[in-house]
Amino acid sequence: MAEPSASRSDPETVGRRAFLRRLAVAAGGAVVESFPGRSRARAAAEQAFQLRAPEPDPKRGGTLRYGVASSPAHFDIHQSGTVANIGAQGPMYDNLIRRDPRDGQTIIPDLAYRWDIAPDGKGYTFHLRSGVRFHDGADFTAEDVKATFSRIIWPPTGIVIPRTPLFSAVSEIRALGPHKVEFRLKEPRPRGFMLSAFASGWNVIVRKKTLEENDYNLRQTPNYPGTGPFRHVSRKKDEVWLMERNPHYWNTPLPYLDRLAVYNFAPFSPELGAALLGGKLDYARIVDTATLRRAQEQPGMTGATYYQSVVDAVWVNTRHKPFGDPRVRRALHLALDRHALIDVVKEAAPYLLGGFVYPFSEWATPRNEMVQRLGYQQDPKPAVEEARRLMAAAGYAAGLRNVDFVVREGASWKLWAVAIQAMLKEALDIETKLRTVQISAFFEETQGGNFDLSIGAIVSTLIDPSDYFNAWYGTDGPQNYSKWHDPAFQKLVTQIDRELDDRRRRALVRQGEAILEHDPPFLPVAWEQLSDAWYTSVKGQQPRHIFGIYDVARWDVAWLDK
Amino acid sequence: MLKYLLRRLIFGLPTLVGISIVIFVVMRVLPGDPLVAMFGAEGFQRLNPADRARIMSDLGLSDPLPVQYVHWMKDIASGSLGRSFFRGDRVSELVLHRGPLSAEIGVLSVLISWLVGLPVGITSAVRPNSLADNVGRSVSVLFLAIPGFWLGMLIVLASLFWFHYKAPLVVVQLWEDPWTNLQLAIGPATVLGLGQGAYIARMTRSCLLEVIGEDYVRTARAKGVAERLVVVRHALPNALLPVITVSGILMGFVLGGSVAVEQAFGVPGLGTALVTALVERDIVVVQNLVLLYGVIFMLVNVLVDLSYALLDPRIHHE
Repeated sequence: MAEPSASRSDPETVGRRAFLRRLAVAAGGAVVESFPGRSRARAAAEQAFQLRAPEPDPKRGGTLRYGVASSPAHFDIHQSGTVANIGAQGPMYDNLIRRDPRDGQTIIPDLAYRWDIAPDGKGYTFHLRSGVRFHDGADFTAEDVKATFSRIIWPPTGIVIPRTPLFSAVSEIRALGPHKVEFRLKEPRPRGFMLSAFASGWNVIVRKKTLEENDYNLRQTPNYPGTGPFRHVSRKKDEVWLMERNPHYWNTPLPYLDRLAVYNFAPFSPELGAALLGGKLDYARIVDTATLRRAQEQPGMTGATYYQSVVDAVWVNTRHKPFGDPRVRRALHLALDRHALIDVVKEAAPYLLGGFVYPFSEWATPRNEMVQRLGYQQDPKPAVEEARRLMAAAGYAAGLRNVDFVVREGASWKLWAVAIQAMLKEALDIETKLRTVQISAFFEETQGGNFDLSIGAIVSTLIDPSDYFNAWYGTDGPQNYSKWHDPAFQKLVTQIDRELDDRRRRALVRQGEAILEHDPPFLPVAWEQLSDAWYTSVKGQQPRHIFGIYDVARWDVAWLDK
Repeated sequence: MLKYLLRRLIFGLPTLVGISIVIFVVMRVLPGDPLVAMFGAEGFQRLNPADRARIMSDLGLSDPLPVQYVHWMKDIASGSLGRSFFRGDRVSELVLHRGPLSAEIGVLSVLISWLVGLPVGITSAVRPNSLADNVGRSVSVLFLAIPGFWLGMLIVLASLFWFHYKAPLVVVQLWEDPWTNLQLAIGPATVLGLGQGAYIARMTRSCLLEVIGEDYVRTARAKGVAERLVVVRHALPNALLPVITVSGILMGFVLGGSVAVEQAFGVPGLGTALVTALVERDIVVVQNLVLLYGVIFMLVNVLVDLSYALLDPRIHHE
């Protein structure tokens, strides 16, 4: 397999003079960095930020028993999109920059102790820590960062990395000396978006040599070295992954725990709840509502609910008549009583009311405005009346028959499908035939367009609309199952991607939202939230404010008060 | 006897080949794509046709079906059984790691079924239509009717909420830590054993009732043999043949039932591995485990046939 190119397909041409100039800059930088005074200043800068537990006097030692889906289908974190990888492997790796595990929001230094953004917004330079070692003893350098991100941004044939589109503006990666790396962009992108992309928990740094030795494919390489706070000890397939403290971790005195035992449990499963409540686990990720409730009631235990990067929705096949008509799709959208749908599944999982934008994000229409809007009101009658009017205008006042409704296997989707079937029948006289399919068949059906309606869920990496507006609603978006296309929206998304002013960008997002409301690419059902439960002896872990389970999965600031 | 055994095993081979062909074809005909589990929903949606073709080729799924089948047979002959699509682990390692626990559950459940079923059946037969018989029969029907996985979940919940007890989370082999191992195996074995015990009890009762009415039993009683000896020495050995046959058949139920019951107890045995592999569409794991179950079922039936000769001198295996 060929090495991934270090530049995009249209790399800027580098002449001989330019090349020599860059070489001189890089060499000069390396020489200057070796001066003693400079080294001291650099060391001080590197030490300026050191992560600590949120509590004042954390204790060292102990083994944390952590229950989470951790039986990955393969071991390549970059190629993965499931918690089964990041849940188990996350603690063994570091990022360039990361989300602060104490608040889940702030972007903080990681392997890069500092970063500069060029005034034109087209260059991101990361200053890397020196003296960091991979678990196999090798030094961490800018070449590892370059190799890691080259593979993420320009994956070789046969490698599929869901985060690739986040870096579509990157044209080149340059190692400017052993501990400095620069990303050049073809055109500027909003800073928040780019930094969020770099800080995504998925973008862990791996060794260049590891990639080379494995033909750039780590799917079947279980224990490739990272620089993270924990090192691999052993793995029992589908059962437990044991890790030990990395004694050479650069962020002393982290981690506080001696060992981490990651047990494999399916999300929401009764087995996970039973293992926690039975005292076999200290911390359980993605528990069912009943377990959360018990944990919150039981002395010595607690739990929390947090936002997840997932929307549950019904896709409407725009290539099947009459669903290409925006009036029909808007009518279906208005016929759903979302408050009732959230109530239907509340015993299984907590969900949030929302439309086409993450409802808890700064980009969303505030909830008090949202609940005034047709389709989101407590009283569904006005929305249903409007839906009937739209159906009549589209020529379907008598409703529809034999609508093929594909349901992804899963408790919430099955409950919702039955409720939605009843709502569509009652409001619009639409008769649907439910067809439940396993996940492995669901994506074949939806991507192949073998459905009229289809209920399931999709995930995004970032909370920033530039990520999911393209992936979910973009004409060629991989999760645009409805095959929806709106030229005005596409133009708007390009503007949103490029707009650097936050206020103007927010206004553009609202315009996009208005288009989506009236010409819906899917019918939003609800936005996911997840719950963790744990014993209060587990400290340093505070998931209440995190977004998604993928950015904060390292356990470096966790400690046991036992 | 040896000749008979060899003949049975040779005749069993076409059955196993049949099973292998059926499961091989079924796994490839069923809808669903293994790449969904491999790449996750998001990654799967970003696969382009070229990547997809290459990965399918790497997995050996692009080869013609006969070629794929031959590859599988070669893997079986080599003893590796092939590798899981997803993590690259050898299936033989999975079987060696989890097989002993599942085998232990199977053997324990048969033992429990006999320990429970035989006394209940004998009591019912010796005192037909008595209170003990009625209670025994009612309980038998109850355990026949209750699905094993449901009973398993009840036991897990009851032990959790009443005793704050949860069985160990990982496989511990019998030779490593017998006590922890027993905690893992006893729950599923009891549930499966009680279900089978109900069949054994009913079969024992009906067979014993029939035998107790035979002339030789009346003769034994007329000669003054104690009632317990009449039942245990004279009637029971002749009543046991159909019961043993049923036990062999029930072993098949144990194998099938263990899949759901292991899941209910959260025991990481072969049954749980089979369910996981089915959900992931890990074709290599599924086809090997199903074939393994077929082999075990066939061997158990051969053993049952052989045991006839030991119990009934009139039967000779030539």
